[in-house]
Amino acid sequence: MRDSVRMAVTLLLIGGICGGFLAAVNSWTAPIIAARELAEFQETVGAFFPEVEDIEEEEIDGEEYFICYDDAGNLLGVVGSVRASGYGDDPIRYNLGVDADGTIVGIRVISHTETPGIGTFIEDESWQEDQIVGLSFDDPIAVEQDVDARSGATVTLRGITGSIRRVVDTIGDNFLGFEVETMEIDVAAVDDGTYTGTGTGFKSEVTVEVTVSGGEITEIVILDHDDTQAYWDQAEDETIARILDAQSLEVDAVSGATGSSIGIIEAVFDALN
Amino acid sequence: MATMAQEFSKGILKENPVFRLLLGMCPVLAVTITAINGFGMGIAATFVLLCSNIVVSLIRNVVPARVRIPAYILVIATFVTVTDLVLNAFLPALHAALGIFIPLIVVNCMIMGRAEGFARKNPLGRSIIDALGMGIGFTLALTILGIVREVLGAGTIFGLDITGTAFEPMAVFASPPGAFIALGVLLLIFNVLYKKMGLE
Repeated sequence: MRDSVRMAVTLLLIGGICGGFLAAVNSWTAPIIAARELAEFQETVGAFFPEVEDIEEEEIDGEEYFICYDDAGNLLGVVGSVRASGYGDDPIRYNLGVDADGTIVGIRVISHTETPGIGTFIEDESWQEDQIVGLSFDDPIAVEQDVDARSGATVTLRGITGSIRRVVDTIGDNFLGFEVETMEIDVAAVDDGTYTGTGTGFKSEVTVEVTVSGGEITEIVILDHDDTQAYWDQAEDETIARILDAQSLEVDAVSGATGSSIGIIEAVFDALN
Repeated sequence: MATMAQEFSKGILKENPVFRLLLGMCPVLAVTITAINGFGMGIAATFVLLCSNIVVSLIRNVVPARVRIPAYILVIATFVTVTDLVLNAFLPALHAALGIFIPLIVVNCMIMGRAEGFARKNPLGRSIIDALGMGIGFTLALTILGIVREVLGAGTIFGLDITGTAFEPMAVFASPPGAFIALGVLLLIFNVLYKKMGLE
């Protein structure tokens, strides 16, 4: 009995002393760390918008957006402190600067767990300058269109590119007053008939024929595509089934064949417009 | 009883934690992508080892034997957290490069091994010397491995480009499989050297 009391008291004492010591160290380092992170962020914003005088902060879907104004109160642009999912276990955290015209002025990767030597190109300034900076809201911002594919790093590249597209849309929609295209469509308002349309699949143009009858999409036929057949097969039936089932184009892409699925959805949208 | 000089040098040569005891391999393999990362990890581990050896030696007659392991873990975890906070505050670049492997120093068996195998049975002075020797041995080993992997994997040493265009870096050495290969070859070389020096 005395032994167990002594053991418990000893551990309690050590734990208490350690806890107190850590509290002291933390209260010493916490302000330094916070100040450094703030300074780093101001430096980042300054790198995107050197004339920044005033910053407003807004949170959208758990991500921070910093709206930057010059000394006359004119909108310079918006910096998003955002996340992309890549290949690593942790999200890629990065800052993206978009100016008032909707053009990307800079990107800075804060942290990531991508594979060294394979996914780490996202940190290369040359890649950022060549591929990302200068793209704008009106560009596709999509792999194999205006962003070059990188063999071996597909997951990282698609993750960051898709995320950049989303962030540019979010900024354009919320702060710059741009219209974000959606796949929203009122099928009931479409006259009966057969329509053709095209969309951009994984690496080719997709052409479809859509039949509307009685305010419902009744048939979707693929006329032409040149995507990789193995992925296409996964995408085709399932995507068409989802559209017919939902009578809407806001359906999920087939996982593993996202590019082809989106091509089909876009083509149907094009046909009905 | 070994002399102080022997206590100090054993950690660097005869009982080098990496090349001889093969202790604490997780950070050894993971962070030695560059020489500076290996060196930084070595210094961080040495700091924790020194502090934990000091405290473990000081409390060796106070802590009941049956709860000594949890007590050591508390002590080690405290110093690891201190290291983590201090690095984050003052050396953010190194902190970012070492990432999760700083908190993982807690489970570095070299540190637990020295607490359990040495500091709890030896007075303060010897425990400090032991920690310094082992820490320097560990740092040296990580730095050597870091240099080898950085030269082969990136063509640089401590960030300085030494090979220029004459040599195409082998990216595999910057990745975990390359760490195993480089460590295996180094162990082979050191085994031969140790035999030649009669330290076996």
